[in-house]
Amino acid sequence: MRDFVKQTRRAFLSSVAATAVLAPGVVLAQEAGEPIRDIVIWARTQAANPQAYTAAQLIAQAWEGLGLNVEIRGVPRPQQSDVVWYNRDSWDTTMWQMVGRPERSDPDELVYNLFHSTTAESGYNFVGYNNPKFDAVAEAQRIETDDNKRQALIKEAQEILAADQPYMMLVHPNKVFAYNKTVWDPASIVEQPGLGIKNFWTFVGATPVGDQKDMIINSSDELNAINPLYISGATDSWITELIWDRLMRIGPDGLPQPWAAESYKWVDETTLELTLRDGMTWHDGQPVTVEDVIFSFEAPAMGDEAPMYKPFVENITAMEKVDDKTLKMTLKEPSASFLTSTLSKINLIPEHIWGPILQDLLTKPENAEAYVEEGRIGSGPFKYVDWSVQDQVVLAANEDHWSAPKMDRWILRIVLNVEAALGMLRSGELNFLSDYTGDPLILVELAEADPDIEIVESTDIGFQFLAFNNRRPPFNDANFRRALSFAVPRELMDGAAWNGYAVPSNSVVSPVLPFWYDDKVLPIETGPEVAKKLLEEGGYQIVDGKLHYPAGGKETLQP
Amino acid sequence: MEYIARRVLYTLFVLWAVASILFLMFRLMPGDPRAAFIDNTFTAEQQQLLLVQFGLDQPLYVQYGKYMVNLVQGDLGMSFIYKRPVVEMVMEVLPNSLVLTLTSLIIAYAFGMVAGAFLARMRGTWVEGVTIPVVLATRAAPEFWLGMVFLAIFSFSLGWFPAGGASSAGITYDSFWQQLVSPDYWRHLALPVITLTLYLQGLPLLLMRSNMLEVMEDEFVTMARMKGLSEWSIVMRHAARNALLPVATAFALGVGFSISGNVVIETVFSWPGIGRLLVTAVSSSDYPLAQGAFLFITVVFVVANLIADMLYAVLDPRVSHGSAG
Repeated sequence: MRDFVKQTRRAFLSSVAATAVLAPGVVLAQEAGEPIRDIVIWARTQAANPQAYTAAQLIAQAWEGLGLNVEIRGVPRPQQSDVVWYNRDSWDTTMWQMVGRPERSDPDELVYNLFHSTTAESGYNFVGYNNPKFDAVAEAQRIETDDNKRQALIKEAQEILAADQPYMMLVHPNKVFAYNKTVWDPASIVEQPGLGIKNFWTFVGATPVGDQKDMIINSSDELNAINPLYISGATDSWITELIWDRLMRIGPDGLPQPWAAESYKWVDETTLELTLRDGMTWHDGQPVTVEDVIFSFEAPAMGDEAPMYKPFVENITAMEKVDDKTLKMTLKEPSASFLTSTLSKINLIPEHIWGPILQDLLTKPENAEAYVEEGRIGSGPFKYVDWSVQDQVVLAANEDHWSAPKMDRWILRIVLNVEAALGMLRSGELNFLSDYTGDPLILVELAEADPDIEIVESTDIGFQFLAFNNRRPPFNDANFRRALSFAVPRELMDGAAWNGYAVPSNSVVSPVLPFWYDDKVLPIETGPEVAKKLLEEGGYQIVDGKLHYPAGGKETLQP
Repeated sequence: MEYIARRVLYTLFVLWAVASILFLMFRLMPGDPRAAFIDNTFTAEQQQLLLVQFGLDQPLYVQYGKYMVNLVQGDLGMSFIYKRPVVEMVMEVLPNSLVLTLTSLIIAYAFGMVAGAFLARMRGTWVEGVTIPVVLATRAAPEFWLGMVFLAIFSFSLGWFPAGGASSAGITYDSFWQQLVSPDYWRHLALPVITLTLYLQGLPLLLMRSNMLEVMEDEFVTMARMKGLSEWSIVMRHAARNALLPVATAFALGVGFSISGNVVIETVFSWPGIGRLLVTAVSSSDYPLAQGAFLFITVVFVVANLIADMLYAVLDPRVSHGSAG
């Protein structure tokens, strides 16, 4: 039946086409709309992100098979951001990525911020996705404090996204790490889903086997700052989370667990009671008090002193000391992710140091982000020792901490040259490769040649995708987005663009978070035939090898 | 005296022109400094706040006016991403850049001058046939390639030198001077210096050689020979001194060129320096830091030129800078 319909349709089309050829004045308006403009895919340059660029080339090929002309524009990151983020009406599609961070273990940030319609104008919803039904689900999960009910909502959100395809999800990349197992006991190295073995739990728990008791790790990024009130860069955050404690920490299972707070209790939906651990001290010897904790949550809201942390404390309306160990927080509205996005994020800072500094800064034009507190006094498991710019940062184990590290020192070296980092791993100048941006195969070969080196491969919470600009026709049509998305086999992306070091994806929630991940979104049927069928259902037509809008559709935009 | 005043005025004009060009260049470049912060959960108000903080909400001429007023007072502003005064940031990495550059330049030029004079004497022999292609090849080889080859041989295979950084893991210093006299620092400096030296030696060597060949044909050399002076005395005391003049100019210019061009060496060997700072600043549209770093390099350049000019008068009494000449 279907074949019959298709055939008559094709016969009809060719007869229309023939008429058009015979009589040039006749327009095809009755059946097909105007041809769709050339489509641009923005991307980083090939050298800067070879995987994403290869992916863009494969995508372009698949789309050209549907009758589109596709141009890939590889540009430096600032230029790409300028177009995609600040000129939101000006682009069609772009390669993009979201990186994995501990607090993204809670799906709220990815589900709500990326797709809620209120963040479309200038917030994270840069693709301009707008679906009231989705908004409702995203809002509901945010205030649902019952985990099982919230899980159902998160899964529903993923299914709506899978149907609407505001993004064409590609892969969750695998990260590769390595360490010297004659230096570190493999049993003490913790793999945190989505983050790999470079995480807080490894740094606190890693046990030295021999005489080398310093962990020497690497980063290929320059450091910006070490400041508890400034979210300055990815590598910087590895350091801040070791020096400054937090009330909760994201555990190896991806869920928040009590840390500086010994326990917490929801008195009602908007009141939280927290009990502090006994005997905590700051690195200068002073005790950590309830007043310090309250101050730490007040500080980001003082004027514009810490604008990056301010949003995370805005839901707190009041804090109250109950006794020497207990405090009560009152929230404006119920929040499911409060433990993750606020309590696991805000650094505890000593009031006796920062109180006078902030009072002084309030009268000055600079804010706390520009203040360098030389001592970097926190209460975390590591103490700050030294930072020599562009070279290394040295932290020492805080032996007085209730969860004291097993290592002596934690040393971060800035190594810009990937090959040099590998050489340093073999020579012992590094004993923990925490940042590797090169070809995973080279690292695997190195480990085969050197039995001391252990490699750990880990799937990321972050993801790589192609974003459709949902504001611009024809990408404002979910049928069209679905067709273009399903034209591309995800296995091809994983295999050809990421060399097998990734897992295919169709959800912003990573499969490494099994509690939140909806396994119904994959596998999906892909390929040119699937795409053509979807296009046909949406009324789009391929005429003389060129894709046209549905009947009456006009092209109003420039590529 | 009048000459020096003229030179200083001229230098100030150059600096003003460079500062103005830098100001415009970075603002006309594609990219927005806010882009460096995109990955944070920023609302529209926060983004606006950033612009106000950076002073980028004001018209260009107001920004320029403030920039110039601050500049005259020695204030290069505050880095957008590091949130620290630019002068402080540049001063922190400039010493490392200078040590790398000056050490390499001095070795390269000392070697180049002696070897150049020697090769001029060897004109037409097999020594010249072998050496000149080698010199040309090292001069033409890309620095990053040379650096990687040295890393592979002397660090990865032989283990003689560390593979990167300016100090061994965990070694801390109270001051830069303390670091400068530590053997560990020089062990880390060795490979970058060897690479840069090899890259730099070609110019003084070839320059010296061709100058020597020219000078050796001059009448005063023939005169010296007729006086019966020893060959050594002729080459070193009479000819070489004259052949040295263009090499001195090249040295001065070399200081400026290599300070800004060291970014490749600094990246290959993860050596702290102003080149790396510059790359970070430009790629994250950190206008004040990029302007500041470029301006510092310009100052080094201009001052080196000034010194070369002065040096000329000392090396060659025939060159005089006054109207009296």
